[in-house]
Amino acid sequence: MAADSEWVLAALERFELPLLRFAATIAGRAQAADVVQDTFLKLCAENRSKVEGHLAAWLFTVCKHRAIELRRSERRLSSMEDVDVQPNPDSGPALELERKQSISRIDAAIEALAEREREALLLKLDAGLSYKQIAEVMNLSVSNVGFILHTAIAKLRAELGRTS
Amino acid sequence: MNSSDPRLTAYAFGELHGEEKARFEAELAGSEALRHELAQIRETIALLGADLMSRPASGLDSDRRRRIASAAKRPARIGPNWAFRGAAAVVAIAAGSVLVVNTFGTAVTNKFENKATHIDSLGEPGVVPPSLASAAPAPTATYESPAQFLPDPALRGARGDGKADGDRRFNREAYDKFDDNPFIHVATDPRSTFSIDVDTASYALVRRHLNDGVLPPKGAVRIEELLNYFKYAYPEPEPGRPFAVQTEVGSAPWASEHRLLRIGIKGKHVAPADVPGTNLVFLIDVSGSMNDENKLPLLKRAFSLLVQQLGAEDRVSIVVYAGASGLVLPPTRGNNRSAILAALERLQSGGSTNGGEGIRLAYQTASEQLVKGGINRVILATDGDFNVGVTSQSELVDLVEQKAKSGVFLSVLGFGGGNYNDSMLEKLADKGNGNYAYIDTLAEARKVLVEQATGTLMTIAKDVKIQIELNPESVEAFRLIGYENRVLAHQDFNDDKKDAGDIGADHTVTALYELVPAGRGLAVPGVDPLKYQAPGRPNPAAKSGELATIKLRYKLPDGDRSELFEVVVRDGGARSGSADFRFAAAVAQFGMLLRDSPYKGSASYEQIVALASDVAHDELRREFIGLAKRARGLAPR
Repeated sequence: MAADSEWVLAALERFELPLLRFAATIAGRAQAADVVQDTFLKLCAENRSKVEGHLAAWLFTVCKHRAIELRRSERRLSSMEDVDVQPNPDSGPALELERKQSISRIDAAIEALAEREREALLLKLDAGLSYKQIAEVMNLSVSNVGFILHTAIAKLRAELGRTS
Repeated sequence: MNSSDPRLTAYAFGELHGEEKARFEAELAGSEALRHELAQIRETIALLGADLMSRPASGLDSDRRRRIASAAKRPARIGPNWAFRGAAAVVAIAAGSVLVVNTFGTAVTNKFENKATHIDSLGEPGVVPPSLASAAPAPTATYESPAQFLPDPALRGARGDGKADGDRRFNREAYDKFDDNPFIHVATDPRSTFSIDVDTASYALVRRHLNDGVLPPKGAVRIEELLNYFKYAYPEPEPGRPFAVQTEVGSAPWASEHRLLRIGIKGKHVAPADVPGTNLVFLIDVSGSMNDENKLPLLKRAFSLLVQQLGAEDRVSIVVYAGASGLVLPPTRGNNRSAILAALERLQSGGSTNGGEGIRLAYQTASEQLVKGGINRVILATDGDFNVGVTSQSELVDLVEQKAKSGVFLSVLGFGGGNYNDSMLEKLADKGNGNYAYIDTLAEARKVLVEQATGTLMTIAKDVKIQIELNPESVEAFRLIGYENRVLAHQDFNDDKKDAGDIGADHTVTALYELVPAGRGLAVPGVDPLKYQAPGRPNPAAKSGELATIKLRYKLPDGDRSELFEVVVRDGGARSGSADFRFAAAVAQFGMLLRDSPYKGSASYEQIVALASDVAHDELRREFIGLAKRARGLAPR
C-alpha cells in the first residue's frame, strides 16, 4: 500500500490549502479543517482506480458535500462560531497592515458575490481547476461556469475600480 | 463585440481552444475596445490572484495530518470514518514534514562541467530510470504525467509545441560523480583553501527526490549546500564588519576518536528600512519546456510573493526569452503592483530557448536603470534548458562574469525537472556574483523570496575565501566536509583576481573539518603512513597549543581589493558541542550517508534523528528529521 499512501499524501500536498479555503467559504473557517480531514479520509477509503484521472474534481466535490453537511448540522446546533485560529506567519507589521487593508477590500468584494460565484471563483483562481472540472464539482454545464465566472469578474472589477 | 461576452473571461483564463480561440483572436485583433476590456479583466484576475497568494498558508494541524497518513497506510476500508471531527481548537503547527510530499518529476543534476567524462547517465533518452519506472503509476511521480492531477489539457496550456514528446526524450537522470574530499596528512599539506558557497539548491533537490520516494543521485548531494540551507544562531558581526566568524570544536559523532571543527560565518543583519533602492530585472524563461505546473505557474506565484514586498523606490522590469526575447514590462515602480502582476499573469510559454539573447537584454535593462549604491540584480528563473542560439556556454558565463563587475549581480532560481540543467545554472550564479536556489514548492519560494529576501538580493561581501592552517602538534590529518567544487589552490587565496563566493545580508555559512588528533597513534582513513619521512620541524608557534589558524579574505560589494582577517582556534576538549554544532553534525552525516561516503564511519539515520531531535527548534529542522526518516526507509539495509 506504500504507493497508495504516497498518492494520498501527494494529493494532500497539492490540494490541502485550496481545499481548506474552499471549505471555509461554505462551512466557515472553524469547520474547514474537519471538512478537509474528512475529505482525505474518504479518499483513503476509496478505490484509487475510480478516482484517478479526475482527482481534483473528486476532492472538491466530496469537500463541498461534506462542508454543506457540516454547515447544516452546525446550524441545527446553532453554535457556529467563526473563529479565526490561523495567525498570518508573514513578517513585518507595516507590510502586514498594508496587506490587510488591501486584502480586506478585495475580500469584502469577494464576500459580496453570490455564493456560487464565489465558489466558482475560488475553484478557478485558488485551486486552478479548469472550467470542465468546475462544472463537474458544481454540477453545472461548462458554458454556465463560463457565464458565472465572467459575471463574478465583472462585478469585482466594478467594485474594486470604484473603491480604489 | 460585446463587453459582457463571457468569452473574454474564458480567454483570459486560457479556456478557449482550437477554432473558437482562433475566431476570438481574430475579433480581438479587429477591436481596440475588446482588447481594452480583456486587459481590464486580466488586471482584475491578477489582483485577485495576488490577494489569494498573500493569504495565510497554514495547512492542516499535525493531528489531522497524522490521521490522514495512518488511514492512507491502511488498505481501503468500507467507508469513511467521520469519528474524528470536532477536535479541539486548531493549532497552527509546523507541518510535520514526514507527510509533506512534493510532486515533481525527475531532475538532471549535472554539476561539474569539467568532469563531464564522469557523467553517469541512468537512462538513455526515452528510458525512465528503473527506480522511477516502478513508481510511475503513482502520482507522487509528478505533475508531469498529464492524466493525474490535471486531467483537463486546457489547464496545462497548449501542448502543441512538441513539449509532450520533448519531456520523454529528455527525461533522464544524469549527474556527475565527484569524490568526497579525502583526509590529508598535516605533514604533507597543512593548509586547506576554499571559497564560500551560499547556494541551497542541493537540499531542495534532495528533498524532491526523497519525497518522490527515491534516494537522490550521489552527485546531487552537495554537503555544503545541505548545511547552508539551515539557519544557525551565530553571533552578529561587530559594527563596521560585514560578517562575523565563530568556531567550535567537539567530537565527530560518526567517529568518536575524531574531532570536528565547525566554522560559522554570519553576514550582518540589514533592517528592511536600510535596504537601498532596488533595480530588479526578472529574466523569465517562457520556452515550451516551462509549461509544467511546477515551472511557469509556480514561478509566477513565486515572483508575486517578491512583488508584494516592493515599494515606490524600487524598480522592476520583466524580460522574457524563448525563441525571441523581449521586454514585456518596462522599468516600473515597485508600488505599481497591479501593473507588475498583470504582466506576470500574461506570461505564457511556447517556443524554444535562446537564453543568451535574454541575458544580454536583461543586463542591458539593468544597466540603464543602475542605482548607484543600491541593489542591481538580474533574477533568472528557468529550468536551464538553453537549447537554441549560437551562444556557447562559456560565452554566456563570460558575459555574466563581466557584467557582475559593473555592479549588476545575478540570482538564479531553478524550476522543475526532466531537463533540468543544474550545472549551467550553478555556474552562472557562481560567476555572476550571485546565489542559486532551487524552487520546488511555494514554501521554498517563500523562504528564498520573502523570509530571506534581503539575503537573496543584497550582497554584503564578495569573493569570500577561507584558508585554514592546521597545527601539526595538534592535528595528524584533516578533511574538509563538502565544498568539493569550491576548493581553491593555496596561491589563489591572496590573488584578488580570483573570483570566489559571495555572502548576502543575514546569510549564515557553515564549514566542517573532520580532524584526526595528533600524537595518539590513530590511523588516518584511506591514507597509509609514510615510509621515508617523519613529520617536519614545527615552528615554536606549534607549541602554543593552538589547533588551527583560519584566515578569511573578502571584498566589499563595490570594492576590488580584498581585506583579511584571522581567527585562532583552540580545542577545549568539548564532547557534544552546542545545539547548532550537533545539528550541523547531523546534517553532515545525512549528506555522507546519502553519498555513501567512504568516511561515514558509524553514521546512521537513527543517530541523525537522535542528534537532531532535541535541537529541531524550527520548521525547516523538523522537516529535515522527516527527510532523514524517509531516507532510512529507502536506504538499502
